[in-house]
Amino acid sequence: MLASNGNKDIFSLKPSEGLQERLHIDFPLFLAFLAIFIISLTAIYSASNSNFDAAINQGIKILISIFAMALVAQFSPLTYARVGPWLYFICLVLLILVLLIGETRNGATRWLNIGITSFQPSELMKIAMPLMIAQYISKGALPPNISSVALSITIVLIPSYLIMQQPDLGTSILVAFSGLVVIFLSGLKKRYLAIAFTLFLAYLPFMWSNIHPFQKKRVLSFLNPESDPLGSGYHLIQSKIAIGSGGLFGKGWLNSTQGQLDFLPERTTDFIFPILAEEFGFLGVSLIIVIYLFIVGRGIMIAINAQDLFSRLLASSISLTFFVYVFVNIAMTTGLLPVVGVPLPLISSGGTSMVTIMIGLGMLISVQTHRRLIDK
Amino acid sequence: MEFKSDATQETEKRIFFSRILFSISVLSFLVILILLRLVQLQIFDADKYKLRSMNNTIRTHSLPATRGLIYDRNNQILAENQPVFQLEMIPEQIEDIELTLDGLIQLKLINENKLETIKDNISKNYQFKSIVLNNRLTEKQMAVFANNRTEYKGVDIKARLSRHYPKKEITAHALGYVGTISSMDYSIFDPSLYTGQEQIGKTSIERDYERLLHGKPGSEQVLVNVRGRVMKSLGKKPFLPGKNLILTIDTKLQEVAYEAMKGRKGAVVGIDPTNGEILILVSTPSYDPNLLSRGMTALEYKAFEKNENKPLFNRAIAGQYPPGSVIKPMLGLAGLHLGFIDPTKYEPCDGAFFLPNYSRPFKDWRTHGPVNLKEAIQASCDVYFYKTAIKMGINNMSNFLSKFNLGATTEIDISYEKAGVIPNPSWKKNHFKSRENQSWYKGETVIAGIGQGYMLTTPLQLAYATSVIANRGKSYRPHLVKGIMDSDLKEIEYIEPIMENHLDNIDRNHWEIIHMGMKAVVNKKGGTAYGMFDNNYPLAGKTGSSQIYSLEKTQGENVPEEFLDHGLFIGFAPPENPRIALAILVENGISGRTAAAPVAKKILDVLLEEQKNVSQ
Repeated sequence: MLASNGNKDIFSLKPSEGLQERLHIDFPLFLAFLAIFIISLTAIYSASNSNFDAAINQGIKILISIFAMALVAQFSPLTYARVGPWLYFICLVLLILVLLIGETRNGATRWLNIGITSFQPSELMKIAMPLMIAQYISKGALPPNISSVALSITIVLIPSYLIMQQPDLGTSILVAFSGLVVIFLSGLKKRYLAIAFTLFLAYLPFMWSNIHPFQKKRVLSFLNPESDPLGSGYHLIQSKIAIGSGGLFGKGWLNSTQGQLDFLPERTTDFIFPILAEEFGFLGVSLIIVIYLFIVGRGIMIAINAQDLFSRLLASSISLTFFVYVFVNIAMTTGLLPVVGVPLPLISSGGTSMVTIMIGLGMLISVQTHRRLIDK
Repeated sequence: MEFKSDATQETEKRIFFSRILFSISVLSFLVILILLRLVQLQIFDADKYKLRSMNNTIRTHSLPATRGLIYDRNNQILAENQPVFQLEMIPEQIEDIELTLDGLIQLKLINENKLETIKDNISKNYQFKSIVLNNRLTEKQMAVFANNRTEYKGVDIKARLSRHYPKKEITAHALGYVGTISSMDYSIFDPSLYTGQEQIGKTSIERDYERLLHGKPGSEQVLVNVRGRVMKSLGKKPFLPGKNLILTIDTKLQEVAYEAMKGRKGAVVGIDPTNGEILILVSTPSYDPNLLSRGMTALEYKAFEKNENKPLFNRAIAGQYPPGSVIKPMLGLAGLHLGFIDPTKYEPCDGAFFLPNYSRPFKDWRTHGPVNLKEAIQASCDVYFYKTAIKMGINNMSNFLSKFNLGATTEIDISYEKAGVIPNPSWKKNHFKSRENQSWYKGETVIAGIGQGYMLTTPLQLAYATSVIANRGKSYRPHLVKGIMDSDLKEIEYIEPIMENHLDNIDRNHWEIIHMGMKAVVNKKGGTAYGMFDNNYPLAGKTGSSQIYSLEKTQGENVPEEFLDHGLFIGFAPPENPRIALAILVENGISGRTAAAPVAKKILDVLLEEQKNVSQ
């Protein structure tokens, strides 16, 4: 399949319609999700000081996410290619509305009240962005020419900028990445890459002067957390203490002192990784990382096996963005990156991000299980 | 979907694969980075972070030791520890600190003047640390808070122990007082033996027996959460309570002495001559040590220190006064022992003594006619002792008086004792700067004969000297602590009296003559204290009045009070088998007979009544 010349014989060769294709699920991925969700439930239970309700709550969110994923997998990538641009522009309008009439919580304007509930359009953009860019790029020939690259970058930067204004640096970076990775995979010439990299470096000082003071403080405290151990450096110090004190084997489930005694804040959301590291040690978190890598690897496999450019780009963007999610969260809790507020995908509590990630993964499965349909 | 040629699709795939391969290598690099970071944190630095996680959660609370109690000789409690209740708050548990403080002020639970200090404390401490809002709640305040407790989450009542002295002013100078530990205190006492929460002795017994009283603090290891709340105890090392002290003080006599001195400035010291135990140690005016122990404001303390009657000054051991005529028995004994006095010989007294080359006479307080030694003591004849002094010379006098421990500290077991002065030519030479003042004049020897001039003694020294006379030369070092009791109140280690024999080679008859003279002071017509006591009162005494202004100054009606003579009385009772040697000093009391002797009577009436009851 991989080495296929793309001749009609292969197209006409109908792959047997197995159980996975009919149900539009991917068993290897499904098993990996199951493992991650079990880890999530044990971690949430421990991090919430053995609050059974919190675990139940997380369980409900998991079920909703699985349902969303299964639902999304039912539709063919072609549908998403058509919906993509519309979704993108709707999201763009919503993002502008957020800045104009959004709800402000804790100094950040991220929410839009739609009567019954309020939600974050930036989360929706996480889905819309890869769809839009993959659709746009796959229409043209590869490698893209300079004008389409310029337009693609504009498509990426506008929502990213809007999200950064909320401010929400973490989501902004992830949205930008999910778009830029598509441009990169489409075979952007190396000199453009070099130019882009230079532009990015030139942009850094501008960004530094534009970001919020609390974000600056975060970056500075990342460079030297001990300078303000009770203030901006507190999260990182406590996080490193939790991870480091876990050692090789960990302290055991429900035995994390950093967590059970409340030293580590936000430990059910952005800082759940340190709790896992404290309770299950290096061996435990290595296993978790292996499971994540399996999901990413499976995603890349699906991308490689995909039979058209749009699916390939979409699948690889989703897989690599998922990896960046994992990387940014672990890097931020271990002090390799500043604290930007990215949850650990599929493990941290927080319904919206779990649903959006699972929708993305659902599209991945859609790519995998609709190959034959596209062939027609 | 637009149509793309096979060739185009092929190119697209090739480009895509190469980019995916590049992405996978970047991804692998990032995974290795994270794994290396985890290896660093969880394997190489694990011990460091384990320690830090323990430091986060394990706190060592020090448990201050309870201070030893102080009893009098009859097991009556003189210093105890009482729980006091204070209002504390933990800032991080409070939503609106301003509102809370305002509300507590409205309820009169916080003094409004202390608001600034409290706010300062809050801003300077960790948010999980308890801040004291009021360090002594009254019962009413506690009731008020109990009624409003639900509105004040994070505010609570905490109990601690504070020193309490039930006898207040009466025992203040003997016991001293305690206070919060200062950095000065830490330069004297081992800081490792304190948690900082204890009270520390500041003066007298509380200070000088601090090492026995304070005990040793314990500690408790507890698991705390981030707000500092104790989740569970991990282990406890109990504190070692301080030792209890049993004093030599007889509270009943002490009370009588204090009551008798009330309203006057002065001191009373009573010593048991058979062992040196101090039964009475009173200095007036006194102070309430409870006020000092619970902590005064700087202003209150200043007012205290500025009080011109000096209530904090321990006159009994540090007040130095000319002994006046109470020195006569000691000088009489000196004359007898050294052979300058023939006890049978009568010396004339015409009311004044003349020294060659001195224009002015040395006056007596009255004309006595011819007197022998016994009568000279009984009637306090100055002329007799002027003559004796001239015969003996100042060096003989000062040498002999030194054997009564005059001019030197008695080494009582509390600090800040003064030595007084027994002058002689060499003392004068060292003491004065100008040459003219350094030489000794004969007139100074004369007035030393009646305890005037440079001579200074403390009430404690006089009581001790009296105990030497009472016990015929045998004496014991005065002390306030009789025994040290374990905290479980079982074992008592008694303190052996220290014998000091400086006058053991005196002829018994000489003692007898002095005793007779002193008994006559009280019981014979013409005695200076005669009529002040009941007939045949079992007491040998001596009155005195010491001039503080000028020997020449005539005592008139308009002398300001602070220049009036001090009244003194020394005595021992009962004379045959002395139980107590007393020294009483009443500042500006004019005469020992009228000011000091009645104090002695009040004390001895109680003591002798007790003795009678015991012997029956």
